[in-house]
Amino acid sequence: MWKDLVDLLFQAYEQFSLLPLFIEIALAFIIIAIAATIFAYGAILYKRYRTYVHEKRVAFISPIIEELITDQVLLNENLGKDIPTEEIEFDKEALSNKVYKKPFVRQILIETLIQYRKNFRGEVGELLRKLYIDMDLQKDSFAKMKSMRWERKIKAVVELTQMDISISDVTILPLTNSTNPSLRAAARNAYIQLSKNEPFKFFDIATEPLLPWDQLEMFKIITTTKDIAIPNFSRWVSYSSNKSVVSFCLKLIAHYDQQSAIPAVMELLNNKDHYFRADAIICLGKLSAEVAEEKMVRIYNHQPLNCQVEILKAMGAIASGKYLEFLKTEFLYSSNFDIRMNAARAIIKHNTQNSRLLVEELMEMTHEENQLIIKHCLNPLIKY
Amino acid sequence: MSNILVIEDDDIMLKAIRNILRKDGHEVLTAKDGKEAFEKLDNEQYDVVITDLMMPYANGLEVVSRLRANTDKRHVGIIVCSSVGNEETITEAFRLGADDYLKKPIMAGELMIRIRKLLANRSANLKLVTKKK
Repeated sequence: MWKDLVDLLFQAYEQFSLLPLFIEIALAFIIIAIAATIFAYGAILYKRYRTYVHEKRVAFISPIIEELITDQVLLNENLGKDIPTEEIEFDKEALSNKVYKKPFVRQILIETLIQYRKNFRGEVGELLRKLYIDMDLQKDSFAKMKSMRWERKIKAVVELTQMDISISDVTILPLTNSTNPSLRAAARNAYIQLSKNEPFKFFDIATEPLLPWDQLEMFKIITTTKDIAIPNFSRWVSYSSNKSVVSFCLKLIAHYDQQSAIPAVMELLNNKDHYFRADAIICLGKLSAEVAEEKMVRIYNHQPLNCQVEILKAMGAIASGKYLEFLKTEFLYSSNFDIRMNAARAIIKHNTQNSRLLVEELMEMTHEENQLIIKHCLNPLIKY
Repeated sequence: MSNILVIEDDDIMLKAIRNILRKDGHEVLTAKDGKEAFEKLDNEQYDVVITDLMMPYANGLEVVSRLRANTDKRHVGIIVCSSVGNEETITEAFRLGADDYLKKPIMAGELMIRIRKLLANRSANLKLVTKKK
């Protein structure tokens, strides 16, 4: 039978080689397209079948898991009796049910517990964590950490973070510098949430960039995590060679109003990178760093447009009143519209007797376009 | 025993709240979305309604305003229970007539105490109204 098949294929090949070249190419394309379609359909069907089986399993096991959580946690008789959560014991028989030994059941159990923890805090939240530990589910999560697949590692990191289980630095710190952006972000977020003493230690070893979206996520976590130890971020502003870490630290310095960081931030005004300088100027403005005004005015003329605009904005935020003449000159004599607009806004932001007199003076002496700019900036309903 | 309607699209949370409240001795009915909630609200009287904000068909704020607009159901105690924690949403919920606002993750004990307080206030108010009549 095999011999016949080989003969048939051989004959087909002979016939094929006698065909003109363009027909051969067209046939090859048709065969490849048919094979790819069959493969794609096969893969889709296989995936659908796996999803179907998983859904069936979940539908079967979910009520059992929910019953366990309801009996052992939600309706636990010791809740509300001022007994410390660590001393509350679960029904050992219920926990040692054979069904909870199966890996897929344990995974569903972990996911369900996380879902409950998202909805409950306080005693119930603590008891859910205790159930996770008592059923040795953290071992499953730690086993996933050793996986070669990054998705499984992320899953493990998220599980352990949600359940507030500390991960050793040796395990998590290398992941904060992973080349995979998703794993890197998950590990960094976990480190901030789980590390009690030095939640920003990974900044020291970060060589991979903090992407803008990661910064946003991290900022949310830092500002919403309870009892987080906030360090002086000027340390990384001065010594980190990772530009994104420095830029992120500048934002955190401004957010936490770390006045002691002003000298370190002012050092950045000498940096060669003008994006860095712009970030530092924004930070100094938000810190209302009056000591930095003189230096900002001194370097103003050698700066690119973005830095000049940021200097004017910062002077409006600092509003010491010492450089109103400088702002007036910029407003009257600059040919750039953005410069005039921001100079006018900086003068108005001072909101002092002198600044108000200056605005009146400018309205009288300047031309029509500049008057429009002042009117625009004076309108409290217009923000930009 | 008080009659409570829990409106919540998260299945796990819905079952959990139902079990907690039943343990506390309340009669609990559930609805998974705004549409089902309106149907149940039309068909039965409740003492307290616990509602989520983000749900399919109608959000929690619509449930609150519809309850307060209905003269027969104006007296129902309403607790909004949501993960939305911004000032505007919370004030909007209270402005529309919610009695209480719980931000998720919630504490089970706190929920029960707030329900008991709401029920106590409600019965005191009802007594006052009957006395006046």
